[in-house]
Amino acid sequence: MTGDKPLEIVLLEMFLLVLLGPLVTGFIQKLKARFQSRRGAGVLQPYRDLVKLLNKGSVQADTASGFFRSIPVLVLATTVAAGALVPVVQAGPPAFPLGDALMLLGLLSLARFLTAVGALDAGGAFGGMGASREMTIAPLVEPVLMMVVFSTALAHGTTELGILAEQRGASWILTWRAADFLGFAAMLVLLPAETGRIPVDNPDTHLELTMLHEGMLLEHSGPGLGCMMLASHTRQIVTLGLAAALFFPIGLEDAGVIGLLLGTLSFVAKILVLAAYLAVIESSYAKLRLFQVPQYLGIGFVCALMSLALRIL
Amino acid sequence: MATCYAAGAFASLLAAWSGRLALVVGHIAAFAGAVVGIAVSLGILLGDPVPTLTLQLPTLFPFARLSLAVDGLSAYFLLVISLVAVAATLYGPAYLQAHSPEAGPGRRATQVLALNVFLACMVFLCCAGDALSFILCWEGMTLASYVLVVSDDTDGENARAGLLYMIMTHAGTAMLLVSFLALTERAGAFDFAALRTAASGLDDSARTALFFMALVGFATKAGVVPLHVWLPRAHPAAPSHVSALMSGVMLKVAIYGILRFGFDLLAPALEPLPSSWGWTILVLGTASAVLGVLYALQQHDLKRLLAFHSVENIGIILIGVGLAMIVWRREEVGGTLATLALTAALLHTVNHAAFKGLLFLGAGSILCRTHVRNMEELGGLARHMPWTAGLFLLGAVAISALPPLNGFVSEWLTFQAILGGASIFHGPSGLVIVVSAALLALTGGLAAACFVKAFGVTFLGRPRTPHAEHATEVPFSMIAGMAWLAVLCVFLGVAPGYAMRLLDAPTVGILHGYGASAVVTAHGPLVLSTALTLPGVMKGTAISMTMLALLLLALLPIAWFLRRGLRPYPVRTEPTWTCGMSPTARFDYTATAFAKPLSLVFATLYRPRHEVIRETAGSPYIIKRIHYSGEVVDLAETQIYHRVQHGITALSKAIRDNSTGRIHGYIGFVLGALFLALLVFGGGQR
Repeated sequence: MTGDKPLEIVLLEMFLLVLLGPLVTGFIQKLKARFQSRRGAGVLQPYRDLVKLLNKGSVQADTASGFFRSIPVLVLATTVAAGALVPVVQAGPPAFPLGDALMLLGLLSLARFLTAVGALDAGGAFGGMGASREMTIAPLVEPVLMMVVFSTALAHGTTELGILAEQRGASWILTWRAADFLGFAAMLVLLPAETGRIPVDNPDTHLELTMLHEGMLLEHSGPGLGCMMLASHTRQIVTLGLAAALFFPIGLEDAGVIGLLLGTLSFVAKILVLAAYLAVIESSYAKLRLFQVPQYLGIGFVCALMSLALRIL
Repeated sequence: MATCYAAGAFASLLAAWSGRLALVVGHIAAFAGAVVGIAVSLGILLGDPVPTLTLQLPTLFPFARLSLAVDGLSAYFLLVISLVAVAATLYGPAYLQAHSPEAGPGRRATQVLALNVFLACMVFLCCAGDALSFILCWEGMTLASYVLVVSDDTDGENARAGLLYMIMTHAGTAMLLVSFLALTERAGAFDFAALRTAASGLDDSARTALFFMALVGFATKAGVVPLHVWLPRAHPAAPSHVSALMSGVMLKVAIYGILRFGFDLLAPALEPLPSSWGWTILVLGTASAVLGVLYALQQHDLKRLLAFHSVENIGIILIGVGLAMIVWRREEVGGTLATLALTAALLHTVNHAAFKGLLFLGAGSILCRTHVRNMEELGGLARHMPWTAGLFLLGAVAISALPPLNGFVSEWLTFQAILGGASIFHGPSGLVIVVSAALLALTGGLAAACFVKAFGVTFLGRPRTPHAEHATEVPFSMIAGMAWLAVLCVFLGVAPGYAMRLLDAPTVGILHGYGASAVVTAHGPLVLSTALTLPGVMKGTAISMTMLALLLLALLPIAWFLRRGLRPYPVRTEPTWTCGMSPTARFDYTATAFAKPLSLVFATLYRPRHEVIRETAGSPYIIKRIHYSGEVVDLAETQIYHRVQHGITALSKAIRDNSTGRIHGYIGFVLGALFLALLVFGGGQR
């Protein structure tokens, strides 16, 4: 069960994810701008935003409690730790086990839990609204995501992403069965929800009628907001990485410098394809009303359930 | 141990002299009892081989010999009880003093006496070696907790809750009693060894009938849906440290009963258990988990919300128990799967005891400082009660099954057991298992939503009433009680491998197969793994909570460095932006508002009712006041209990209408019934 992937590689992968996170957001923004016939900001804009925020001072609500200042720290650390669980450049279990897909989902929901707690702290209605909506959608997304994981796990007998990627890497798309296609369809439905994008959430607006995640960030400012932004970039790439590890674990087989380079390149390619998918969806659909989101997620649920049922029958 | 609890009980007599002294001495005695309980149970659980302690009690009844027999399973539950009892007894005296300072010595005496009897009965129930002492302790536990439920104040609400509790649990006890008596009649003796022998001769249908009767009894006590209606009323009514004991521990005694009956007393000698047992428990557990958390979400009374979460967590434990029953002696994975499922259930037992105890004590701290249980009237407590807030948040993270705390560990094990089960069973039964996995995942997400609400509305934002505004931190002994449970939560979350050794004795003892540590900590105590050995199907997964906690610890300073910013600007504090109006507490999101979207999503289950009354002044556009009232119904209550109640009322009305009131007629009925009974049942023996 313990593999031979050294701990350095795991940490390297984690930092790679954190570094690439804002780039993915920048890429999506750029692509969206092109779809809208705008030139748009450069793909490096999210990095510039982060640096700007980290250089600012911060304003804090006078009603906020002592927890408020530590919320960005906890959220960022938790999200980054989730990044350590995604196989990025090399498949196979790490030399010392760290966590599996369930742990990854657990860490992401811990980050969401803390964000929502922070949102209620300032005592404004917007934070509460964002937290309430986010915590309404999240319990509907998480079980479906877990079912997708289970569906893959049942075929390979483990929920450890490294082993899953390793085993599926050998038998990639040629051996996909109906269950895999359905699972992937469910994943495609879930990706916009889990990354907080249209049609479930709108990352570009602070209008109270449409926002979920952004509403929870309203009271953060300066470096704190920078941490929260970095955490949401990381969360996005971690989610995409999870989808890539579950369904496209290619180019991760080889060790050595060449293998690592190959792995990095293939990872970047996969993430960019998935990011382009998000950009296309976001440009071609309108945001759903909050109470239509459960129906939208229902499509994902049905696909995931069918996928699981096909594995078992 | 017995001496300590007896001393505590007698200490209540001191109340004649001073209520306060009785309180302190009684709780110290119970504390000592709990510490002795921990020592005894650890001694048994860590022994190699596991010693079985048996003790003959003096003969009280001519027809039965009372005895105690402590094996691995008993010792484990003894440990769980004692761990929470330590916290509750530390917390108790200061709480009772602060919550009801005006209480006279009589009430103090009752409370101390009942607490000691309650603890002693739970402890001896788990150690009982024969049916009679089991039933006696069971009854003692119910009665003592009833006294505690109605002791808190003279409110009619509490008395009604207590009455419902009494009726429900006694109906359950009656079923349990039938099951026990049927067994003892066959065995001709009361001790468990004789019952085991008697049960081995039963045929399958009789065995199943007896098990289900006992199950009804235990499920009532455990608060399994649909037998849970008493629980959310009775648990909040008791003093908070007793609520912690009732929710954290008393429900577990029912789990102990199910395990003892299912795997030990009624189990066939070598064959697997009848398949209906495990599946029933699995389905009941799943239903309890989901419905428990859904109803908890709509509660605005903090203690009631916690009580509904007990229904949820009992459900999660039962999922593990059910799976273990299904696969025990049935599958080819060498028995590791049954061990895995049972380990998950037992670990969740102690985990739930720890975090639910912690949360109830936290709710108690709020209650004794503000005398308010309704979250809508609280808010902003984190600044006045930072310790309570921090510990409550820790408990909230733990109960929401989030890493790196203990709730996650046992849910992870449950998920792995479910996956193992799903890879063995195909067709419809596999689908049932998978659906229960999906519902368990839903439960976790909803619990997180519920505790964001509970913590956020209670502790954060602005205080909504003067009660909340003038709250102060609770005394040290109360914080110590909570901190002890918080330490347990962190330890069981970060280093669960070290606790697995304690689970060896109970798992080996009742499954007669692999021990917990042989399966779960096969790669050393730092790694949790599911060593499933069925070739080609399950390869197993390994995680390390310790490594993850270290990683988080390492990342925190880096994140903190970023949070400080690159330039040393001071932090300005300004009022929250509320669109130009001056902020008041009414801008804060309320608990009702927070849970509203989910109540609309799950409207089929909630059947929400709400009513808005507008008072207008002259024109319909000028609104003077809006009155809003909303309510969510418990489906079990309206669909089952109200119908039963209507049925009983209609029946008694019909009987009353046909009663003549003359005594001859009634004597005639009695004689007729006796004659019939003799005719039907009297023919058997000559």
